Amino acid sequence: MSNVNYGTIIKNGIFGENPVFRLALSLCPAVAVTSGVKNGFLMGVAVLFVMTMVNATVSLLRKFINPKVRIPSYMFIIATWVTVTDLVMAAYARDVYKQMGLYIMLIVAFAIVLSRAEMFASKNKLLPSIVDGAAMGMGFLLALVLLGIFREFLGKGSLWGYQILVSDGKAIKPLLIMILPTGGFFAMGLMMGWLNWIDRKFFGGSGGGGGAHH
Amino acid sequence: MKEMIKITLSLVAIFIAAGIIMGVTYKYTSPVRFIAEKKEKEEALKQMAPDATDPIIPAGTWSSSHGKPYEYYRATSQGKPVAYISSTAGKGYSSFIAMLVSLDPDLKIREVKILHHGETPGLGDQVEDRTLFLDQFKGKALSQLILLKTETKENIQAISGATISSRAVTNGVKDAVQTLVDTYGSGIKSAAQGVAP
Repeated sequence: MSNVNYGTIIKNGIFGENPVFRLALSLCPAVAVTSGVKNGFLMGVAVLFVMTMVNATVSLLRKFINPKVRIPSYMFIIATWVTVTDLVMAAYARDVYKQMGLYIMLIVAFAIVLSRAEMFASKNKLLPSIVDGAAMGMGFLLALVLLGIFREFLGKGSLWGYQILVSDGKAIKPLLIMILPTGGFFAMGLMMGWLNWIDRKFFGGSGGGGGAHH
Repeated sequence: MKEMIKITLSLVAIFIAAGIIMGVTYKYTSPVRFIAEKKEKEEALKQMAPDATDPIIPAGTWSSSHGKPYEYYRATSQGKPVAYISSTAGKGYSSFIAMLVSLDPDLKIREVKILHHGETPGLGDQVEDRTLFLDQFKGKALSQLILLKTETKENIQAISGATISSRAVTNGVKDAVQTLVDTYGSGIKSAAQGVAP
C-alpha cells in the first residue's frame, strides 16, 4: 500500500468499522465495564494506548514474525505491552492506577487488539498502523462512553457519578436492569440498530453492523 | 524438520525478548511501587484514627479463616485508646479484598477502608462506593454484621449484581471486628451487645 488515506483509516475506526457496534468484537468487556460512563472512559483510554503500541510493534516486526506462528507472537507482544503498562503505572502513576488498575490486565484478552494486529498492522507500514490503532482505540472508547451514558443514566440516574435524576432531593429508583449485564446487551443491541438505521437513512450504506464483517 | 526448528527459534526469540523487557521494567518499577504502597498504607492507617497523637504501631497479629496473617493496632492519644484498627481481607469473586477496619473504644465500627482488590470493574468494584455500600458499616456492632439481599438499616445490604464481593467485604470486616472484640472487649463487654463471651 503506497497510497494511504489516513482520513479513511480514522473514519473506519470510529464509524465504518467501529469495534463494538460494527465489528461486534470485545463485547464481553464492553458489557462488563459500561455500567458507568467513568468506567467506560477509563477502559477506553487504556485500550487506546495499548492498541496504538501493539500496532506499532507488530508493524515494525512484521518482516521477522514467522507467518505460521504469528498469532502466539501477537499475543505475546500484546501481553508484554499490557504488563509493561501495568507495572509502570503502578509505580509512577499511583492515582490513575487506583482508578484504572483493574482494567489494564483485562486488555490482554481483547479480540479487537489481536484482530487489528492481524488484519492491519501485519500488512502495513509503521505510521498507518499507528493511526489505525489509535483510530480503532478511539472508536472503542467512544462506543464505551456512549453505552456508559445510556446505561448509567437509565440504570443509576447519574452521569460520571453525579446524580441527575432527583425527586424531592432524593435519588429516584432507577431501572436496575440497565446496569446488570442483561441491560448491557439491550443497550448494545439498540445502539447497533440505531447506528445501522443512521447508516441506511443518511449515508446510503447497507447497515451491516454486527456480523457482516466476520 | 528444518522449518520446525525455525519456527521454534523465532518464537523463542520473541519470548526471550518479551521476558527481558518485562523483567527489566519490573526491576526498575517494583522498588518505587513498594515504597509508594508502604507510604499509602501508613497514610491509610493514620486516616483510620486521625485523633491519635501517638504513632500507630502493630499491637499483635491474628490469622483469618482463610489462613492469612493480619496485624492489629491500638491507636492512642496520650496513652488513652481512641481506636482499635485491624487489617483484614475477604475472598471475593476474583481476588482478595484487602481492607482496614477501625473501631471506636466502645467497639462499634468507626470506619472501613478498602485498600486494594481485583474485583470485576462495574460490578464487584462497587463495594468501594461509600454511599452505596461501605458507609453502611459505620456505627454497627459485631452482632449486626449480617449480609442481607433485602433493604435493611439494621444489618448490611448487599449490592445487587455484586453479592459475592459484598459478602467478601462483610466477612472480612466481621473477622477483624471479632478479633478486636476478643482482644480488647474484656473490659467493656456490655458495649459489645452480648456478643463477647
